[in-house]
Amino acid sequence: MSARDAILGKLGPARPIADLTAQADALIGHAERPLLDGDTIDLFLAQLDQPSIAATHDAVDTLGDLPAAVTRYLDANVGARALYLPPDPQLLDLDWQSVTTLHSCPVDDGAVLAIARAGVAETGSLIFETAPVAPMLPNFLALHHLVVLHRAHVVRWLEDALLPAGPQPRAHYWVTGVSGTTDIEGQYVRGAHGPRFLHVILVG
Amino acid sequence: MSFAERVDAALHDPLLKTAIDRATGTAQAKRAAAIAAFPSFEPARRRAAAIKDHVIANLGAYLAAFEANAQAAGAAVHWARTADEACAIVIDICKKADAKRVARSKSMLGEEIGLPHALEAADITRVETDLAEHIIQLAHERPSHIIWPALHKTREQVADLFRASHRSPQNEDTIPAMAASARRQLREDMLSADVGISGANFLIADTGAVCTVTNEGNAELSLVPPRVHIVTAGIEKVVPSMRHATHLLRLLARSATGAALTQYTTFYAGPRRPGDREGPEEMHIVLVDNGRTRMRDEGLAEMLRCIRCGACMNHCVVFRQIGGHAYGGTYPGPMGAVLTPALDGLAGAKDLPNACTLNGKCREVCPVDIPLPTLLRGWREKSWREGLEPVTMRRGLGLWAWAAKRPALYRLGTRVAIAALRRFGRRGWIARLPLASGWTDGRDFPRPEAGSFMARYRKGER
Repeated sequence: MSARDAILGKLGPARPIADLTAQADALIGHAERPLLDGDTIDLFLAQLDQPSIAATHDAVDTLGDLPAAVTRYLDANVGARALYLPPDPQLLDLDWQSVTTLHSCPVDDGAVLAIARAGVAETGSLIFETAPVAPMLPNFLALHHLVVLHRAHVVRWLEDALLPAGPQPRAHYWVTGVSGTTDIEGQYVRGAHGPRFLHVILVG
Repeated sequence: MSFAERVDAALHDPLLKTAIDRATGTAQAKRAAAIAAFPSFEPARRRAAAIKDHVIANLGAYLAAFEANAQAAGAAVHWARTADEACAIVIDICKKADAKRVARSKSMLGEEIGLPHALEAADITRVETDLAEHIIQLAHERPSHIIWPALHKTREQVADLFRASHRSPQNEDTIPAMAASARRQLREDMLSADVGISGANFLIADTGAVCTVTNEGNAELSLVPPRVHIVTAGIEKVVPSMRHATHLLRLLARSATGAALTQYTTFYAGPRRPGDREGPEEMHIVLVDNGRTRMRDEGLAEMLRCIRCGACMNHCVVFRQIGGHAYGGTYPGPMGAVLTPALDGLAGAKDLPNACTLNGKCREVCPVDIPLPTLLRGWREKSWREGLEPVTMRRGLGLWAWAAKRPALYRLGTRVAIAALRRFGRRGWIARLPLASGWTDGRDFPRPEAGSFMARYRKGER
């Protein structure tokens, strides 16, 4: 007998998953959530300021204003006016004259730019999905992670940002603050393996 | 070493108590603050328990659904009855991929099935990428906590380890400088790995995705660059949907570190797609039983709710004295005292359920409301029934039971015992007691009140 058959055999006859769906839905309906009071955007920005998240933020009116905001950040925090751009036409088509755009990601320093699919006020999370135009590795390799987020894509609860069942992106990931560790004597250190700095630029 | 010897060693370690107090003290305070900002935490954890119970009751159906959806996303799904089967599957995949080096993202299941040892035996270089796991790999030790595996190490010990083994170690022994040294060292190792191995915090049945959570970002750096991603996951990790996973994630990080979420929560669904510039060419998921179906059938189904947050050990008066290594198994603390007899056999682990005060704190803080004290009592009863308790204990209890059934004799006995005990005491405490040095060597014994409860009750003291 295969291991699969042995394990499933021990678990007994399985009810069709369709029969279980109603029960599973009832179990999660109106699930409890933490307290959250106020305007969604204000709450989201307040979350970014939390010491555990430690992200900075800026705002621009249109995507066309993005290169100027990025340059401002690089001048103030990085020194070099260079950053990695993912191969996303939304970003590549902007006017990047003031910045050297890199087509491969720096391995342990420098800055990257990425577009978040959503921001979540509840937790201050940024939600990303992989795609040919949106690789994920650069967002973990760089020291400075710059994130473009459309104001209209900021939602209140984690549930508001979930993808429905069915075909998924290869990976999707929730980034809630900068990389950190408390593994030596419980002392918090920023930038364990991933980015040490997170900067969100709201558009719109 | 026996449990008693390990406990003795732990209690005489001059640094351990400080290290445990620091880490668990901080964890308790942060958790308390997080729960205060989530007033409906109590019903939320009962809901979490109900979700897990529903899945455990219908585990076959959910595993089959997960398997079908993971396969549809392009992952290969393997099944393993035992730890050895699971390790053999992983090693086989590594060999077929001609892997020389694997990067591992911390997984307690990997520890449980002995994967580090199996990789070593197969001559495959293993790089632990979680900072704490990296520290204990360098020290050739085992994790002492499921969230902070290197909780028992001081900064001075870590500094020495890094100086001895890192290619470009820290110049000064501050904690940020040491973390930076590990970052430099591990980055190269992760980017050059052939295979990335992770566990799973959740398996999402209706999408076939595997969820990992980390604060460091080491999982993503370990799992995206290599050619092959292997997941080893306990079969109890499956949840019906993303909404169910979201509810459990809200409870997991708050219970573990006091954060609303971990920094990185990632869902992987299959290997590299057409057009992708990154990602593994193969994704393998190994679903591991290793005693879980038996636990489900033999009265430990509630233990399968566990989401491995570590809150029970952070709040356990026994763990906070003896630390994790004294427990001797993969999992320490209250959850470990329930799991170790199931995984390693009761005969060798029967002392663990006895090393518990039954104060109930573990159940109180458990995000999935596992009745840990009840399960521990169950192991005590089983140990008694199976005759595993030593003869002196059996005879002593037999004698006590014989006397307890004879009230006049029992009352006489307590009168004599109280009178005798009071002769040893001063100002309410007994500093040294013959035949009980095991107690009084470490702390004073309370001097009994004059007169037994029954005698005082009869005199009208109520």
